[in-house]
Amino acid sequence: MDWLAFLLSGTVLAATPLLIAALGELIAEKSGVLNLSVEGMMALGAAIGFIVVAESGSHWLAILAGGLASAGLAAIFAFVVLVTLGNQVATGIAVGILGVGLAGLIGKPYESMTVPPMARVPLPLLSDIPIIGPGLFNQPLLVYLAPLLAAALWWMFKHSKVGLVIRAVGESPESAHAVGYDVVGIRFLAVVTGGLFAGIAGAFISVASTTLWSDGMIAGRGWIVVALVVFAMWRVERVVIGAYLFGAATIAELLVQSAGIAAPSQLLTSIPYIATIIAIALLSMDGKRIRLNAPVSLGRVYNGAQ
Amino acid sequence: MRNKILKWALAACAALSVGVAQAEPVTIGFIYPAPVADVGWAKQLDLGREAVEKKLGDKVKTRAVENIPEGPDAARVMNQLVTDGAKFVVLGSFGYMNDGLRLARQKPDVAFLHASGFKQSANFGTFTARNYEGFYLGGLAAAMVTKTNTIGIVGAFAIPEVVAEVNAIALAARKVNPDLKIKIVWLNTWFDPPKEQEAARALISQGADVLFSLHQDTPSVVNVAQAQGVYVVNTNSDMSAHGPDAVLASVTDDWSGYFVKNVEDMLNGSFNGTDFRGGLADGTVKVVAWNKALTEEQMAQIKQAEADLMSGKTHVFAGPLRDQQGTVRVEEGANLPDPEIFAMNWLVEGLDGTLPK
Repeated sequence: MDWLAFLLSGTVLAATPLLIAALGELIAEKSGVLNLSVEGMMALGAAIGFIVVAESGSHWLAILAGGLASAGLAAIFAFVVLVTLGNQVATGIAVGILGVGLAGLIGKPYESMTVPPMARVPLPLLSDIPIIGPGLFNQPLLVYLAPLLAAALWWMFKHSKVGLVIRAVGESPESAHAVGYDVVGIRFLAVVTGGLFAGIAGAFISVASTTLWSDGMIAGRGWIVVALVVFAMWRVERVVIGAYLFGAATIAELLVQSAGIAAPSQLLTSIPYIATIIAIALLSMDGKRIRLNAPVSLGRVYNGAQ
Repeated sequence: MRNKILKWALAACAALSVGVAQAEPVTIGFIYPAPVADVGWAKQLDLGREAVEKKLGDKVKTRAVENIPEGPDAARVMNQLVTDGAKFVVLGSFGYMNDGLRLARQKPDVAFLHASGFKQSANFGTFTARNYEGFYLGGLAAAMVTKTNTIGIVGAFAIPEVVAEVNAIALAARKVNPDLKIKIVWLNTWFDPPKEQEAARALISQGADVLFSLHQDTPSVVNVAQAQGVYVVNTNSDMSAHGPDAVLASVTDDWSGYFVKNVEDMLNGSFNGTDFRGGLADGTVKVVAWNKALTEEQMAQIKQAEADLMSGKTHVFAGPLRDQQGTVRVEEGANLPDPEIFAMNWLVEGLDGTLPK
């Protein structure tokens, strides 16, 4: 595989988990709940997913189990912030730490083990195109599904009643409540769905792209996901751009170094972050539109009696 | 008169301490920065701990605390170990240095060994491995097996220890094949398995068919090498189980002898904090899991180079040695002195890329 094909395949492999988790976080935030536990949810998904694949050999079962485990963790978070009205920031961080710790605990017997990678699904015809084919169209199925999921969510938020209700709950829970929607129930579902996505993303890393489990392997990707959603101004299409851009910059940095081009490596290491921030900042120069996009009740406690 | 009392007191003390040693085992604490897995840095330290238990039997009792981040957590854990009666503490990470030194000053009766530090005192010794000697042998082997004449190095951080390893690889490989290309990727992280694998794939995509995994604690790079059919020389532990075809050799550290000797010294009261630098000669650095693809003739050459390094006949950083800018760093006939090896911040002539400063 030459370096151009690697740039493409490395980019989509690095970006796919970020995109899936960011879409999940987007759903939660659109409903008005800031869930900062993404790092922990991804770590738990990675651990559970890895254990399931090591024991059963089924990658799809692993992805599902990872997703469900993190959905469970998200449910704990949702219960604390929605039912007992805990502070979202503090609870999110606490549950995130719980997730990372739990993952380390249950994954302990599997430390540094490896599993066979998830099957690649070459797309007919497309995978025969030189460079682009092996780069983009010979990947695990989830790599193709992630952008489709994004498209579906874009449509949902823009054109469907479900999307409108989620947005309404995030913009003005009082009004949504007044017209008869169950604010807490809808937010609960949104947060749990976000957890499901984060877990799938974590499991993707441990069973499809890295095929190795180790304590701490998520290594900050959960925080990048949270940042992506904010910098993308809660817009699905910008989350997509941000995720792939970040993935591409990560891989480009390594390629520049391995090509022997003289540039300070710390600067190169920081390029994915800088590039993503600049690109998304340029896309959202207009301050008024930022305020329009941010869910108004994001992070606020809603007790239903206001 | 005064002397006599002193002698009496000393004798009493000695008798007491011997009495204590026989009565109950001395607690020895180990603190690791990472979890003990089946491979990795913490695993190698833990093998040293097991050797201490095995050799000294019921004279000692060991306690290992793993996955302790550098900083307040480490300070708390080492204080707790000493409070619980530990008389000997092994600090398994560079970042434990300042907290460890402070504790060592407060507790002069407790002996400390600290990994890769540069400050010593009477009860605070440091240990480092001359892994560059092992990687020199790895560099020879890499140059013998490469078909693309390209070697790729995945480096964690460009600290002197790792820079010395990169230079050793380059010097050895160029000795076998002067036209060899060597590509380096610095990750600027100690631990990020997904990124480590991406770096390995990036190097392979640039034509590297032998990789060096410098200070990755998991078999991340080894996995990629096995999957993509290239060779890899890795750090810390024998990882050939994770890459039976891929592992060309593993450069491992064996701390057993060093730990056992120092614990024995502590038990008989002669512990002294020194600056230990273990290499091939004293058995601290061992290159194992040589790949079967190496022919008998090639292995003989590698073993000869190993014997020469061990006997001191040759030196990895023997002059004449120039850096990237062409400045002479070591004159002909001289060897790079230890303090400069352990502070290496320059790449040898002919290497591409720059060092992060």
